[in-house]
Parts: sequence; C-alpha cells; structure tokens
Amino acid sequence: MRAAALLFACLAPLLAGSEDSFALRNITIHPVSAPEIAAGTLVVVDGRIAALGASAAVPRGLRVIDGKGLHVYPGIIDSLTQIGLSEISAVPATVDTTEVGDFNPQLRAEIAINPASEHIPVTRAAGITSVIAGPMGGIISGQAALVHLDGWTWEEMDIRRSAAMMLTIPVIQAGGGRGSPPGRPSFAEARRNYEKKLAELRDFFEAARRYRQARLAGQAGFKTDLKFEAMLPVLEGKVPVVARATRERAVREALKLAGEQKIRLILAGPREVEGVVKEIREHNIPVILGPTHVPPLNEDDPYDRSFTLPGELYKAGIKLAFASFSTSGARNLPEQAATAVAYGLPYQEGLKALTLNAAEIWGVASEYGSIAKGKWADLMVTDGDPLETRTQVKHLFIKGRAVDLDNKHRRLYQKYLARP
Amino acid sequence: MKRVLPAILALAAALGAEPPSAIAIRGARIVPVSGPVLERGTVVLRDGLIEAVGENLSPAPDVWIMEGKGLTVYPGLIDALSSWGLPAPASASSANRIPQAGAPPPAAPAKGPEDRPSNTSWLRAADLIQPSDRRLEEARGAGFTSAAVFPTSGIFAGQGAVINLAGDRAGEMVVATPAGLYLSLRSGMNAGFPGSLMGVIAYIRQSFLDAGHYRAAQAAYQRTAAMKRPAYDRAVEGLLDCPRVLLPAGRAAEIDRMLRLAAELNLKPVLYGGHEAHRAIGRLRASGAPVLLNLKWPERDREADPEQKDSLQVLEFRDKAPSSAAALARAGLPFAFYSGGVERPRDLRKAVKKAIDAGLAPADALKALTLGAAAIYGVSGRLGSLEPGKIANLVVTDGDLFEEKTKIRYVFVDGVKFEPAVETPGEAAR
Repeated sequence: MRAAALLFACLAPLLAGSEDSFALRNITIHPVSAPEIAAGTLVVVDGRIAALGASAAVPRGLRVIDGKGLHVYPGIIDSLTQIGLSEISAVPATVDTTEVGDFNPQLRAEIAINPASEHIPVTRAAGITSVIAGPMGGIISGQAALVHLDGWTWEEMDIRRSAAMMLTIPVIQAGGGRGSPPGRPSFAEARRNYEKKLAELRDFFEAARRYRQARLAGQAGFKTDLKFEAMLPVLEGKVPVVARATRERAVREALKLAGEQKIRLILAGPREVEGVVKEIREHNIPVILGPTHVPPLNEDDPYDRSFTLPGELYKAGIKLAFASFSTSGARNLPEQAATAVAYGLPYQEGLKALTLNAAEIWGVASEYGSIAKGKWADLMVTDGDPLETRTQVKHLFIKGRAVDLDNKHRRLYQKYLARP
Repeated sequence: MKRVLPAILALAAALGAEPPSAIAIRGARIVPVSGPVLERGTVVLRDGLIEAVGENLSPAPDVWIMEGKGLTVYPGLIDALSSWGLPAPASASSANRIPQAGAPPPAAPAKGPEDRPSNTSWLRAADLIQPSDRRLEEARGAGFTSAAVFPTSGIFAGQGAVINLAGDRAGEMVVATPAGLYLSLRSGMNAGFPGSLMGVIAYIRQSFLDAGHYRAAQAAYQRTAAMKRPAYDRAVEGLLDCPRVLLPAGRAAEIDRMLRLAAELNLKPVLYGGHEAHRAIGRLRASGAPVLLNLKWPERDREADPEQKDSLQVLEFRDKAPSSAAALARAGLPFAFYSGGVERPRDLRKAVKKAIDAGLAPADALKALTLGAAAIYGVSGRLGSLEPGKIANLVVTDGDLFEEKTKIRYVFVDGVKFEPAVETPGEAAR
C-alpha cells in the first residue's frame, strides 16, 4: 500500500498536465451560470473545466480531491484595484499608480505590476483569483489590466493587458464651505478650471480621432504618437473606458462624453445616482460598485445609503460588478458584497457581481466567471457560503493549478498565536 | 440779547462754524427706552447732553426749536462690537512696529506661551481712532451714534473703547476706555505656537495665570527692599487692565467652552457670536454672561456650488440663528447686537428685523441696540436712553425704526446734528 503511494508520487510529475488536472468529487458545485449541483463531480483537465455534474466521469489516473462538506465556486474577480502597483501607500517608493500629466493613455499598468507583492497572497486567501489593476491620476490615467493573482512575472499573470482605459471625470474642487481646507479656490474659479479640463478632454478625443483618420488615409509625413495609438482601440469600441465618477455631476458628464464620443462606457464608483439611474439603464452602462463599507456620501443620507445602493441599481436593471478600489482592502471584497446582499441585492446577484458579471463586463465571459465546460478552472473551494465572514477558503485554483493560500496575515496570526 | 441769540446760532449753524448749544425737538413721538413712550413730547439738548425730556416742556428762549411733528426720537443706536473708526487690521500691526519699550515682536515663529505670540493686548482702540474714517458717516446714516470698538487681530487683540461716532479729534470721541479685552481663538497665524485650537486655549490659560503671578510679583517687589526685580511685560499688563473679556462663542459647544474657561480663570466674560445662544440658554442663565449677537446671520455662501446640498444641521443652524435674540430676551438675559460681518451699516436694521421676525419684541430689539449695549459696557449712566444728564446721542426717524420704509432724518452725536447723506438710487439698488 505504502509502496503504491510512493510509486504514484514518483509518477505524478510524469503524467501529462497533472498539475492542472484533477477532479473534485462529492462537492457542492455552484456554477453561478446554472443551478447548484449537490454532491457533484467537477473534472478539470489541462487547466480547463472538462466536465461537471452529479455523476461526471473521472478519467482514469486523474488526481481526485474529496470535497465532502465543501463547496466550489468560480474564483472572485475584483473589478478595480491597485494590486501590484502599490505596496505601502505611505511609502512613495512603493507606489507606482500615477504618472505626471492629465492625458496618459499610453501607460500600461500591467507592466508595472509587482508579481511578488505581499497583497497578492493575502487577496487570494479571500477567494479572489483575478483583479483589474488600474492606474490613477490625471484625467486619462492609462490602461487597466485584468490579471491573475498568480505568476512569477506579469506575463504569466496576464489575462487582458488592456482591459479598459481609465478615465477620471474632473470635479469642481472649490473651497469656502465650513471645514474645507484652506487655500482652495472659490467656486467660480474652481468651475472655470473644471470647464477647462473638460474642454481639454474633448479636445484630446478630437485630436485622437483626427490622428486615426490621418493614419487610415496613410497621410504623407504621418508621425506615430503613442498616446493617440493607445486611443485607437477606444475610438474603435474595442476597449471600454472606465470612468471614475462619484457625484451626479460627474456621472452626467461621463454619460455625455460617452454619447458624444461613441465610446463604450463603464461607470466606476457612482454614489449619487438618483437623477441619472434611468439614463445609465437606457444606455446599458455597466456599473463597477465601490466599497459598500463606507459612510454615506452626504451628511443627511440614510445610514445605510452605501449598503442599499447596489440593490437599488440592480432593481433599476443595471449590470453590476463589485470592486474594492483598493490594494490592502481587496481581501474584504466578499464582505462588501455580503453587506449589499443583506441590504436588498438578491443573493444570486451578489455572487454574480463578484464573478460572471465582472467577466462579462471585462469581455472574458467565454473563459472565466462561472463553472462551465470549456472555461478556465479559476475556482475557489470553501467550507461554506463565501458571503459569510466565517467561511474559509480551503483551496484555490488558477487555471487549474492549486495556489498556495499561505500569506502574510496568516503568518502573523501564527506568530502571535505562539506568543507565550 | 437773549432773543437775538437763536438767530446768531442759526447763522453760525448755517456757516458750519459753531453748532447751536441748545436744541429742542418739539411735539415728536419720544421713545426714551428707559421709560414709557411719549406720544407728543419734547426733548431738549444742551451742550452735548440731554437737558430735559417731557410732554409739557417749555424750552428756555435760547433754545433752537425743531418741529418734531411726524417724527420719532430714539436714543442713538450702539454697535456693541465694531471696528468703525479704527484702521484696518494691517495697520494695527504697523502700530506694533512703532518702537516701544518692551521686547520687539519675535521674528522667529513662537515656540511657546513665553514668546507671547499673537498678543497685542497693550493696544488701545482709543489710541487708534481715525475721525476721518468714511464708515463713521455711513454708520451715523444708519442711526448709529456710538460703538464699542476693538482691535481684532491676534489672539489677545487689544483693549476696546466705547466711542461716539463723530468728533473732530479722536480724544473727543471716547466715552469709556478701556472697555474690555478682545480675544479670538485663531491659531496658526505665524507658523509657530499655537498651531491648534487646544494650543490656543492652553495659551490663553497660561497667559492669564502669568498675569496673576505678574501682579503678585510686582506687588511683592513694591513691599520688599532686597528683591530681584520682576521683568516688565506689556503683553501681561494688557491682561491686567481689562474690565471684561470678549470671548468668541458662536456655537452652543463654544459657548459652553468659553463659559467654563472664564469661570476657571475668574474672568468677566462677554460672549460674542451667539448664533446658537438659543441652544445654550441654561448655561448662559447660570453664568449671567452677556451675549453680543452678530448681525451677520449665517447664510449660504453665494459662491457655493449650486449642486451642493446643505445638511439639515447647517440649514437648522441658519434658520434658528436669528431666534437667539428672542430666546435671550425671553430668558431675561443681557444681550446686544453687533455689526460683525455686515459690511454696509444700512443693512443692520434689516438684520435686526430678522431677529424681530424670529420672535424678538421690537421694544427688546431697541433696548438691545441702546440701553442693553450700554449696560454691558458699564456706560448705561451715559448712553442708551433719553434721560436728562445723558449724552445727547439721538436718532430721529419719520416712523417706526424697524419699518423698512422708515427713513432716518437726523442723528445727534454729542448734541451735534447730522443729516444722513441721501442715497442715490444706484447705491440703493446695490
């Protein structure tokens, strides 16, 4: 018996694709895209889901993991983070999120990602298998990437190197109110600055459009410009624009811009939506939800304004995905969704907004986001409902490979647990 | 001889040489504030004082008679905290640069209370008066004849004075000085200590404790032969002089804080601001401290973002601030009004009307603008009502003072008559 086990251990590496091929048996499967399967079998071959069902056949020689008492879900996608771009926000040398200047579409966050970031294992332990890593700052901040939370290099992490163009809608930063920091300009002056920025943004789009026409026409003396090159897929609708817009004025401005420039818009972090929700719905604009665990935006908002917003947007018919907008806070993403579910978002929609909706919004739903035959096996195996705080992630698979769940938090926990 | 005197006086007045020394306003409605209203009365002014007030007076033959039919006579109004007649704050610090016997103001940022930062407590408003200040005329045009004026820059800004709002020479305008020490809680003015509110309050406490020690040390030195002399400190001298201390207290929490501070340091406080006095009536009653209400009622910044929604707390603060006057009056507590941030004196009556609309009885409003203000500064024996022997500061209107269409016809300051400049329509529309 022992000899047989030893033999298997020796042979295992020789079996083709053994590292990313396995079967989970006797496990509750939550495909998200289909009804759950109790005591089912999930077969992963060469990193992809080969079969799932109550009695799916397991090929001979495949590694089998007993899933008794466990649940398997698609891996969670955090739809906006700075993971890999920022390590310790208070130490500038470890922060690589922001470039100088207002218009930097040519920047690619992906190549700046630090695959050895301590945040990556911590985030994975929460069941998160992939994230959007986005640059910040200025108006057009650069290209956000969809990456796996595993890999020795950014190339190994890559899913979509240009998942979206990041845009921050300018805001009117006026002083004068009680408690406003000193040295802020008057409202009139701030509004002039704001209108100037908006005009610059429109001019930039216009210049990019003219660049594209000149390029298509093969104009003599045409000079390549990386900024405008980066705008081409945006103008052609191949890459969406993620517009960060919190207040209603910014959301309106984002919608207006999308209409004028005929671009694919994704709204990120809107929190003041009463007056614009209809328009968001009418134009089928997906919304990336900001963290729910934040105080309400306005002093007189109901205490649970941030909790109920996802449910309200869902009821209005808007496609939603959750995001942490964070680095160290990404690990709390399931709890952010759980609170939204406790305050009116249907449970299944909460799960979808963490998985399949995100994959759809980022254009990778044919490969990721649910447990379905042919998709990559980005899976989390838990001992319960992932929207419950007490639930533990027992295994995590990225493209069928088991990922180490050890991380800095766990090591610190063990360290201080052992303190005499 | 006696009969020709009025004619001579009239001639003199016409030439602008010497004002008549005795004037009577006859047959006017008289509101003395200190007593019942006289529907048809006469008030006689002589040599800058009120000589008589009554219904059936027959003024002496030398008195210049003004027919008062259709007019109402009030005591002149008092701005209970003002900068009228004082140079703008910048020049207050230039007064600072005049070489003085004390230590020069430290060039380096202050490190602690021992450097006496933001302390110009030795400045006296009475020494700074500029009779040529254009605002004096505007203030008279709005019915104001006196003001308690204070230097206001710094934490220990300086000593105030009660002044009359007309005079050829600064010294003639002063009614009482010092009227009190003006304190603010401004921090971070010179990049040194104190840079925070807690630092300012600690600094104020330390300064008053230092003043107490200074007094004791000086007294001991007078008595003792062989004793090291205590250093002279003008910053502390100013603290010892003051009959009362003006403390900033707008919000209820600030009122509470300042009353506690005053009690701890054994000061005689006068609170200024007072927009949440309606929420602190209990504390104010227990302390008996007078409140000066800023007539610049809180309002939405016209510059503010039109899309910015004000919170309920802010809206309530704005809505209830003018009711503070009525709340203080109902509780029988001493209060007065001051011009604060109201730039044009002629807007002040409108601002008082807001307090009346919020429940203040017009008689109480008038008292707060006259005798009430005078009592707070200890000059109610000189100013604030129409009584024989008081300073002849009067305002004469063609109707009720708080009616919008009422015009101010004359004001008298120290018995000298002024006619308000006629407003040009363009100016009125501004």
